[in-house]
Amino acid sequence: MHGGIERKLARWGIAFVMPAVAFFTLFSFYPIVSAFITSLTNRKILSLLRPDFVGFKNYGYLLGSPDFWNSIRATAVFTLGTFIPLLIFSLVIAFFITGMKRGQRSIQLAYYSPAILSSVVAAVIWLSMLDPRGLANQFLNALLGTHGIDHRWLASSTMVQLSTMLVYFWKYIGYFVIIFITGLASIPPGVYEAATIDGANRWQSFGRITLPLLRPTIAFVSIMSMLQCLKTFSTQYLFTQSGAPGAPINVITLNIYNTGIRDHLIGRASAMSIILFVIMLGFTAVQLRVSGGEKVSY
Amino acid sequence: MKRLLFLVLCVAIAGALWATGTTEEDDGPMTIKFWTHEDPNRTEIEERYIREFEAANPDVTIERVTNSSAKVPELLLTAFAANEGPHIFNTQIEDGYAYIANARVAPVDARAAGYANDSALIDAYVPGVLDPVSAGGDVYGLPLELTNWAIYLNKRVFRDAGLDPEVDYPRTWEEVVEVSEAIAIRDGQILTRRGFDFRYPYFLVSMIPMVEQLGGQLISDDGKTAIVGDEAWLEFLTYMQQWGPNGMNLGSPTYTNARKTFNQDNNDIAMAMSGLYQAGRIRSDNAEFYSSGDWMVIPYPQFENAVNEVASAYYGHYYMVNIQVPEREQEMAWKFVGYMLSHPEEYLDRVGLVQPTNALMASNTFLSTPYAEVFAQDMELGNIVYYAEDSARMQELVKEAVEAVMLSGESPEKALASLKVKAQELLDQQ
Repeated sequence: MHGGIERKLARWGIAFVMPAVAFFTLFSFYPIVSAFITSLTNRKILSLLRPDFVGFKNYGYLLGSPDFWNSIRATAVFTLGTFIPLLIFSLVIAFFITGMKRGQRSIQLAYYSPAILSSVVAAVIWLSMLDPRGLANQFLNALLGTHGIDHRWLASSTMVQLSTMLVYFWKYIGYFVIIFITGLASIPPGVYEAATIDGANRWQSFGRITLPLLRPTIAFVSIMSMLQCLKTFSTQYLFTQSGAPGAPINVITLNIYNTGIRDHLIGRASAMSIILFVIMLGFTAVQLRVSGGEKVSY
Repeated sequence: MKRLLFLVLCVAIAGALWATGTTEEDDGPMTIKFWTHEDPNRTEIEERYIREFEAANPDVTIERVTNSSAKVPELLLTAFAANEGPHIFNTQIEDGYAYIANARVAPVDARAAGYANDSALIDAYVPGVLDPVSAGGDVYGLPLELTNWAIYLNKRVFRDAGLDPEVDYPRTWEEVVEVSEAIAIRDGQILTRRGFDFRYPYFLVSMIPMVEQLGGQLISDDGKTAIVGDEAWLEFLTYMQQWGPNGMNLGSPTYTNARKTFNQDNNDIAMAMSGLYQAGRIRSDNAEFYSSGDWMVIPYPQFENAVNEVASAYYGHYYMVNIQVPEREQEMAWKFVGYMLSHPEEYLDRVGLVQPTNALMASNTFLSTPYAEVFAQDMELGNIVYYAEDSARMQELVKEAVEAVMLSGESPEKALASLKVKAQELLDQQ
């Protein structure tokens, strides 16, 4: 009798999960398998001819290509240069916002507002600011007390990398701040009260209570922000379309796009996307292991 | 059993729906999808052609969809990759040639397009202009425009800099530097007024002729070697290095596109490179400037030590028809293309586009168009732009080399060495 109820409940559970499974299968799993199969061929995007099976030739080509390794470098620089500051600053800002007595909502809204803009709109706004005659030069010159210095936000190899990081940081900081605020709110206030009674100051509370209890949120934010950074595309795409040099910011996704759409080599582009998928999967697994996953106890 | 029956029924219904959806109709109404790039002057006349064509062919609806010229190649590629391309499209030959190479477009239906036969069609056009869209004895596209670029000059800016535009306009690339230096205004390192600036995304059209003037080539005559003539390439790359922010700081790809800002007459650019169509766009954007008489067009400059007199390359935008649509619709598509192209004088007069038919080139409309003779003379000195299945990639490699010397501080020698290796690899892959 008991087994019958469980079976009935399980059936309902399966029914509710099925749409999500079907969605995942159709829009995530199938494209991954399809991309892997395509990566083993020399398929060209416009060709109506049946593509030849070339085995792992595309992967061999990529691993020997300086252009691909430059993309790995550009992606690594962008990811490290963006996701680490994102993680640290969003946590610090969330901590300060949580401690504010007034104006929490307004500050949260102000931080979050760039996140609702599309990446393309964000990049266009920043393009006008980073123009040699734009606000970025004017602001920095006023700040440094210099005059007429062109900081070459889009023209110099180093600065254009920094500019893409700046856009991404500005766009996503609010999103992760909100997640951290939610995480901070889930820590029972009693724990802090007990620590205060025991004589702990604010920094000790932060180091001994907040950080350990926030571990699942930190793991979530670090994985999410890293994956976002690895998938970055529109900022780099729009910057290169607007005259910025391509090589310094030719991240893997941009290289995939150019190889597939501009060069028509969809087989090679698929191989690159599979490599990116494996990199993302590997980093996620490592981060989950390092952060200790979801386990936390009060 | 019930479950099995239900599944069979579902499969049968889905199959029936699929079969119905793919059935081709032999007669009845049809919708022709027509994708093209934005041009307000063209839109005005082509929408009228659509109305006239639909009135004469009541069963036909033409859906005209426009996007920016930079976006069209990408949208077309995505649509064709999914076998959902439009009936009619146009794109520059550098991008369009891949559709011919991959058999994605139908040969021109000469009779539907309004010609007695294929020979009559070929004879109607200036010799050679259909070569880029010809393969295996068939013609696969009809030119919406054949364009080369010259230099538009703002006389007010010249006078403001103390120069006489009629006398001091630059004839050589060396003079372009001198004049630009005289016109440039800088706030520290930041250029607030430029003398001239290049059209950076279009390296094959605007910059390869500079290399050719110096005796170099993008591809050798036998088609086997890429980047020919090291001395010429080095001189060109050195010129670009000196032009950029690390050299004389006269311009850069990161400044606002010179052609766009030229029309505004804001005293921030004196010269920009463009085609005959630019006059129509000045008229649309700034009628006062257009009618002021304060602009003129000068020929594409030459290097002082040029060994070949070469002007800007010319390129074509060709109308093509998707071979995957039913034959009845292909025929109607060519009929509509033929109808649009039967108004070459209006295209020239209202839009500034040259459809290179023998009749148009001999017409008073062409001969009396302001500065048409500058473009015509330059076209005689120019070559058709490099077109191949991979021309977009080749352009990207030239772009990389120019950006490396202009923006990244790389030496011309190093940029050239890298360009040679990559371009040759690309050529060998063909």
